[in-house]
This record gives sequence, C-alpha cells and structure tokens, in this order.
Amino acid sequence: MGNVERVDRTLPLNQMIFHVRRDADLRRRWREDFEGLAREFGLSAQEVDAVKAADVRRLNDMGVHQYYVSQILRLSFGAAGASNAHPAVEAFRRAYPEHEG
Amino acid sequence: MARIVAAMAATHAPGLTGWFDQAPEADRKMVREGYGELRRRLEAARPDVLLMLSNDHLLNWPINNVPDYTVGIGDEHVGPADWFDEWLALPKYRVKGRPDLARTIVREGAHHGIMFAYLTRLELDDGISVPLHYLTPEMQIPLVPITLNCTVPPIPSSERAYRLGQVLRDIVTTRWPAEERVAVVATGGLSHEPGGPRYLKVDEAFDRWFLACLAEGDHARIVRECTVDRMEAAGSGGTAELLAWIAALPFTVGPAEVLGYAPTFAWRTGTGFAAWPRTI
Repeated sequence: MGNVERVDRTLPLNQMIFHVRRDADLRRRWREDFEGLAREFGLSAQEVDAVKAADVRRLNDMGVHQYYVSQILRLSFGAAGASNAHPAVEAFRRAYPEHEG
Repeated sequence: MARIVAAMAATHAPGLTGWFDQAPEADRKMVREGYGELRRRLEAARPDVLLMLSNDHLLNWPINNVPDYTVGIGDEHVGPADWFDEWLALPKYRVKGRPDLARTIVREGAHHGIMFAYLTRLELDDGISVPLHYLTPEMQIPLVPITLNCTVPPIPSSERAYRLGQVLRDIVTTRWPAEERVAVVATGGLSHEPGGPRYLKVDEAFDRWFLACLAEGDHARIVRECTVDRMEAAGSGGTAELLAWIAALPFTVGPAEVLGYAPTFAWRTGTGFAAWPRTI
C-alpha cells in the first residue's frame, strides 16, 4: 500500500477537519480562534504546531490523512485557482522536492 | 425491467473546472473532445436515470466510520457542497434524485451480501459535480449517486468492486420493476496522489497500461492485475478511484473505446475518457 496506509484514524485532527469542511461557522473559528477550536477537538500541541506551520511533511508523518493535508493547506492559503503555482501547492513542492514532476 | 443503455468512464479532477486554463491547449482540447463525445453518446442513449459511480473525498463520513459504499437516496441532489464552491468554480446546481431506484439498491443489496450506507442528503464533491457539469449541464437526467471508499484503508479490493458492479447490475436489471433506460457513468482517477508526497506526479505508464486493458476488454485480467496495491503504487489515495471504473465493467461487454488521455501535470492527474459500445 501507499502513503494512505500511514493514516491514524484516531488522530483528533482527522476528526476536526471533517467537521470544519462542512460548517462555515467552524471555518470562521479556524481563522479567528484556531487554538480554542483545537482544544475543543482535543488536538495535541504537536498537531496544533504542525497546522500553524502548514508543515506538509510533518502532517503526513503524524498520521493526518493525506487528502486532509491538502484541505488544511486550503484553509490556510485559500481554495480558488489551485494551480501548481498556488501557495497551498507550493507547500507540497517545498516539502517533497524529491517527488516533483 | 430496466435496460442499460450506456456505460462510460471519465476523470473528475477538480482542475477540469477550477483551473482548467492552466493546462496546455492540447490537454484542454482532449478534455473538451472527450467529455463532448461522452455527452453526445449519453444524449443519444436517452437515459431516464443516471447511475453514477464515484468516490467520497472524505466529505460525507467522518474518518472514524467510513462505509465502503454509500447511496444517495434523496428526492433531489444539490451541489457542489459549499466547501467546493471556490475550489471547483462551479455554480450551485440541483438535479432530481430517484429514491425509488436508490432505495431498491439499498434494500436489495442486503440480499446480495452488500451493506450499502445511504444518505438522504449526499454532499456532492468534484467526483459528481465535474462530470455533471460536462455531461448534463442542464441537469435534466435524474441521478442516483453511489460513492466508494477509495482512500481510507482497508480500501475494497478490485474483486469486491467488480462484485459491487455485478450486484448493482442484477438489482437494476432484475429487481427493479421499472421499464426504464439506465446510463452508468464511472468517475475518478487516473493516477494521482492528492495530498501525498507525490502530489505533483502522474504515472503515465500505469495510466496507459490501464486504458490498454480496458481496450482489450478482458474483465478477469483487469480484476486480477489492476490490484489496489498496483493502483496505490501509481499514486496513493487517488488512483484507486479507478475502482469505480472496475465497478462499471459488469454493465459492459467486451472492449472499451478509449476516447482520450493526457498525463496532465497542471491538473495533477492522469486525465482520460472511455466508453463501452456494448452494454449488457
């Protein structure tokens, strides 16, 4: 199996992102009170730090589902016009330069 | 009993609507022609119902409880889900459902060894929205959406996806009394790894091999050789969306026509189209 095999389904961040994607009010809180929201969902300090740093490699390594990693980047950098020059995609290029192209 | 009047498969990459202009003109032309030909064939088949097989992008179920297969049983479907508005750059749309067929699938699935999850309000992501945009922009054909889990291990095997297709075929053609015309559309793939280390890679060799297998038309070989492991090796968490294409095979007879392919880096997905001239 590939990278998805590394997912930790019990990771609180994997629960939190599901609800945030489906609720505009939670998305507002993600922007305005991320740490408060993270506490309510029981995120660890490591999860909070990785999200705030938009650290793609660390998020993947800790067991965030890889699809949700891309969603976290969209929350950080916006979703419109997600070409390969978009900041959310550039973060992947920086994280895995060995896999480009 | 119902008849299968068309079977086809297509990529649903969000870039096909969200950042379409970022790809080379040759790739854009291939998509316009590929989806255009599928639309022409779909309209010529005059279906009463569209049975669409796709995958859920972790939108409809929390990751603590992910069913293998989900049926949308609502009277009406509304998309795209709000979270996908900017991503897909598509306007909101409404399309009628067919709860009579959808609920028959859920009920009869139990007698065929398949536990279908179902939702009255299935949130529609790129997997349904992008194909509908290209195939039925007027949203005139009632829809039964069925999603597969293609990204949370354990991902159903190719054998199980093929079995899913057999069960759906048998329910639609023998257990549902309506004398109606049903079109089957599978969406997903080809190679891609959304959010993984190889997000910026496409496996052209795998894609061309898979499409050649479809053109050969040997279902047993496809199920035997196009394993989840092989799809995962070609791009984790995304390539296995081709399970929806495999689930469409039991509705078909013989070779598929491959209507186009491009390894489109700009859309971070192998992009391709196929249709089966003969259905069961």
